[in-house]
Amino acid sequence: MHQVILDRLEEHLSGSPCSREFTAHLESCEECRAEVREMQDLSGVFAALRAPEALNPSPGFYAQVSRRVEAQRPRSLWSFVWLEPAFGRRVAFASLMTLAILGSYLITRETEYSAGPPRPEVIMAQQSPADNQDTILATLASYEP
Amino acid sequence: MGSLTGALPLPAFGGRVVVKTRVDYQNSQEGALVRRAQSGDEAAFREIVEHYQSKVFSIIHGIVRQRNDVEDIAQQVFAKVYFSLRNFDFRSSLITWIYKITVNECFDYLRKKKVRKLVYESDLSEDEVRRVENTEPSVDRTTPADESLARHDYVLKLLARVSEEERNLLMLKEVEGHSVEELAEMTGMNENTIKVKLFRARQKLVKAAQRLDRAPGLVAG
Repeated sequence: MHQVILDRLEEHLSGSPCSREFTAHLESCEECRAEVREMQDLSGVFAALRAPEALNPSPGFYAQVSRRVEAQRPRSLWSFVWLEPAFGRRVAFASLMTLAILGSYLITRETEYSAGPPRPEVIMAQQSPADNQDTILATLASYEP
Repeated sequence: MGSLTGALPLPAFGGRVVVKTRVDYQNSQEGALVRRAQSGDEAAFREIVEHYQSKVFSIIHGIVRQRNDVEDIAQQVFAKVYFSLRNFDFRSSLITWIYKITVNECFDYLRKKKVRKLVYESDLSEDEVRRVENTEPSVDRTTPADESLARHDYVLKLLARVSEEERNLLMLKEVEGHSVEELAEMTGMNENTIKVKLFRARQKLVKAAQRLDRAPGLVAG
């Protein structure tokens, strides 16, 4: 389709009067004439999409819209916990198990570290070998089980 | 966003040039209502529903002829409006945006229903149903009601072959009767863009119509 037709096509299809240039080109160009005719034919069928009569909403229409909005509203995690008891119980059980396992691990580690005062040989092993014998004797003498 | 249409003088050329600027929907009265609804004001949303419900019903009834389904689809349209309103960016007018949602919802409904019947019995009057049932076989079986429904079915099949944007533009132009200038203001697009989009959409409709005329069963509705 040539530009002179394209520029005024919508006006022509709406039924507005067209310029001489537009009309003259349509008369001389068979390709544009055929294309415009096809588009004009199809333009006419759109009238079938106009409502055949006025339909009024029912008096409770807004209330129905509200109900639909509430039904489609996405739920938060907390609502799952409180409104879905089975899911809430599973979450609670999983949390308790996690706490129990973590607690057991921590208690076990603490037991390893709290075995009483260190024994003399441990102290001596931790000390440098260059320390003198007096220090070693003092450590042995002061040890209290 | 600029102000409404105006004329500005250009000193360099010594003449007046008409410059069309976009409509500022955000700072309009409607824009204030939308912003209230976007912030969760239920009264504002209710005002939007009550203001546009008749128009939405009219759009739906033009596409979906079954009266029982019109209100159901309208409820769904406004539910979508509610959840999508926070994404509305004022580039178009509110009614244009609601129109797009309405038309899309109707075509989704039609796709799901897969309606292929020509005559929607629930929408014929008692006289028409009686005439269809009692008519003696004759050479010409078409009645005005049948022809109207046939055209309705036909144009829906054609519109199913274009994109959502093209479909909305075509309907705003052909069904609602808006001019290209009005479409430019309503959609926020410039006039040349609208002309090009409409032209391409019409070309697709022509091709779809040619295929449908050659093989009526091939073009899915």
